Amino acid sequence: MEAVVVDAGSKLLKAGIASPDQNPALILPTKMKRVLEEGEAGEGEGSEVEEVTVDPVVRGFVKDWDAMEDLLKHVLYTLIGWEIGEEGQILFTDPLFTPKALREQLVQLMFETFNVSGFYASEQAVLSLYAVGRISGCTVDIGHGKIDIAPVCEGAVHHIASKRFEIGGIDLTNLFARELQKSNPLVNIDISEIEKLKEQYACCAEDQSTFDETQNSCQTEKHTLPDGQVITIKRERYIVGEALFQPSILGLEEYGLVDQLVRSISTVSSEYHRQLFENTMLCGGTASMTGFEERFQREANLCTSSIRPALVKPPEYMPENLAKNSAWMGGAILAKVVFPQNQHVTKADYDETGPAIVHRKCF
Amino acid sequence: MYGGDEVSAIVLDLGSYSCKAGYAGEDAPKAVFPSVVGSIDQTGANDEIKPERDSESMSDSKTGVKALDSDKTKPKRKLYVGTQALDYRRDHMEVISPLKDGVVVDWDIVDNIWNYAFRQRLLIDPKEHPILLAEPSTNSPLQREKAAELLFENYKVPALFLAKNAVLTSFASGRATSLVVDSGGGSTVVAAVHDGYVLQKAVATSPIGGEFLTDCMMKSLESKGIVLKPRYSFKKKEISPGEYQIVDLDFPNTTESYKLYSTRAIAGDIKESVCRVPDTPFEEAAYANVPMTPYELPDGQTIEIGADRFKVPDVLFNPSLSQTIPGMESIADSTSLRGLPQMVIESINKCDVDIRRELFSSILLAGGTSSMQQLKERLEKDLMEEAPQAARVKVLASGNSTERRFSVWIGGSILASLGSFQQMWFSKAEYEEHGVSYIQRKCP
Repeated sequence: MEAVVVDAGSKLLKAGIASPDQNPALILPTKMKRVLEEGEAGEGEGSEVEEVTVDPVVRGFVKDWDAMEDLLKHVLYTLIGWEIGEEGQILFTDPLFTPKALREQLVQLMFETFNVSGFYASEQAVLSLYAVGRISGCTVDIGHGKIDIAPVCEGAVHHIASKRFEIGGIDLTNLFARELQKSNPLVNIDISEIEKLKEQYACCAEDQSTFDETQNSCQTEKHTLPDGQVITIKRERYIVGEALFQPSILGLEEYGLVDQLVRSISTVSSEYHRQLFENTMLCGGTASMTGFEERFQREANLCTSSIRPALVKPPEYMPENLAKNSAWMGGAILAKVVFPQNQHVTKADYDETGPAIVHRKCF
Repeated sequence: MYGGDEVSAIVLDLGSYSCKAGYAGEDAPKAVFPSVVGSIDQTGANDEIKPERDSESMSDSKTGVKALDSDKTKPKRKLYVGTQALDYRRDHMEVISPLKDGVVVDWDIVDNIWNYAFRQRLLIDPKEHPILLAEPSTNSPLQREKAAELLFENYKVPALFLAKNAVLTSFASGRATSLVVDSGGGSTVVAAVHDGYVLQKAVATSPIGGEFLTDCMMKSLESKGIVLKPRYSFKKKEISPGEYQIVDLDFPNTTESYKLYSTRAIAGDIKESVCRVPDTPFEEAAYANVPMTPYELPDGQTIEIGADRFKVPDVLFNPSLSQTIPGMESIADSTSLRGLPQMVIESINKCDVDIRRELFSSILLAGGTSSMQQLKERLEKDLMEEAPQAARVKVLASGNSTERRFSVWIGGSILASLGSFQQMWFSKAEYEEHGVSYIQRKCP
């Protein structure tokens, strides 16, 4: 039976049977609604009153285990079609700096509640590089809840040099909301609507001076909301993109993305610098913003060292929007290697040693 | 008695240069960050306009006391811990160290550093993990009690153990008796370990460590006219398509200590990449024509380093050499400082005659500075000349430079994951029953 790969992000859960050169079969939001009467949680967007939105995954880490359990039950049994008693093997992805306790809880959930026959967990940074056919390089993962910059040398993440930022797509959405509210004070927009607007309109200016010019003049777009209201979007779309390169817009005291990448790589010993710089990979939902890659390249050219960050070109046989699902695809590739060769954690291993086995077998 | 074996212990090593923290049982610490912090005095910038500020509601008691200029209440300050926070240049941010001559003087900063390590790097709750703390080999009883008190009261750790750095390094190499040469950032300590205990009378310390060598390198390069520009002080601008130029940025409110910290970071990297210990004592004449090695600075400039490659590391063996570097003459009275081989001999001579032979044949190198190339060979050579004829001198160092840098932490990781160690923890119950001074008995 084929292994299942699950990549639980803060916004989207990617899951499917491991098939390396295809998109994940299921991409569904991790946001859930708790229906208070029966005490169960269900998927989908209802607009009923008396419901609480639950986010099982916050900033990349699983915080609400009950909700996660329900979500996984739905995904594995209903959508993928596992049968109780015949569960297969599963591979999970972890963000950077996952605490040991979290991994142990996950493996415990898998073996005790779901009764899977095999389990493996791997870090997202490494998997994203596998998806483009590399084992060394630097990943810049710009997700919904966090940004991870991780240099990877020969399949091992350099934890000491890695960086994590607690900003992500969600903060950009909030920024967009604030800016739109300022320029369209009479219009009330729902956060989920803003999320869609951000994906449609947000873009990056070509470089800093172009961004400064938009202050004076830029295109105006008019957008009609589903409820009929009309809003104008002018400069706000550029501000959202600029926030990644000038975090002071979000109120953070940090340098821009490319600067952080360069500093992170210079912490690693110099023999790896060339490899890391020349194999930089952008992944994550937010990285697919219009104009982001070009701006990144531009900023990279302003890098003062002689070796400049160069973005990796994904192989042709991989689907178009590799960046969004690269961790899942890397997981699919890894699943094809790990499970047949019995390098994963089996039920027997778990029964014998307990949850701590995950640290020994999965790295 | 604390019998926890399911929950992983945390090993914490606060050195003079960097703090290492991670889970026991692993082969490298997960979190490594500088042990200095950035500090912005909240009231500092407003000192001149004190009278008007009295009406501010920053902290009512503080403004009242400020008029008396009492030294009991420290001015409120915001601390920035960790590489990311320190890397960002802020106005008026001073870089301060909690240690002075290897002894902790500011426990508030240490508290912040530990908090950062637990809550933001390792993402754990210290209530659930026993802590193994590495301490300097010459730590005073008062310091140990303060550390234990801080951990039990503020962090509510379930169990604690304090182990001396030299002992941990010894364990990392699998020996119970050895002479540990720990050459770290702030100082070099030579300590003899016998059967797992440090022989206090045989500990020799010297203030020459990695930072001293970095300063030598920095001053030497400055005297040659090379300007090390910190990363924040320049930016590359595109003046026309395809043509770039480095532009200097001016930040008048940057403190001197921050500038020094950033410049040292660059000089330290130069030192780590190009320096080699010479095979024979350094002489100006002999190394005048040595081929130069190129090094690329962060601003793109390439510099050539020649004799300094060998001169700076030789300061470890011959401290008076630092006098010849312009700018370094005033630092320390180097006539009283001994070189590394002399310290080793001195330390061994203070031990019992019986164990001297064993100590000579198991000399361990530890610490960041000891990962300098050719250090092991040079030390062995120098010691063979100075040691008594009958002694067989053997200097051991793990080949991997990461292992040498973290050998204290690795020793702690090994110790805390041993089954036979689990009964030796100083538990919270014992702390509450016997008081903090019980730690002297439990952790020898």
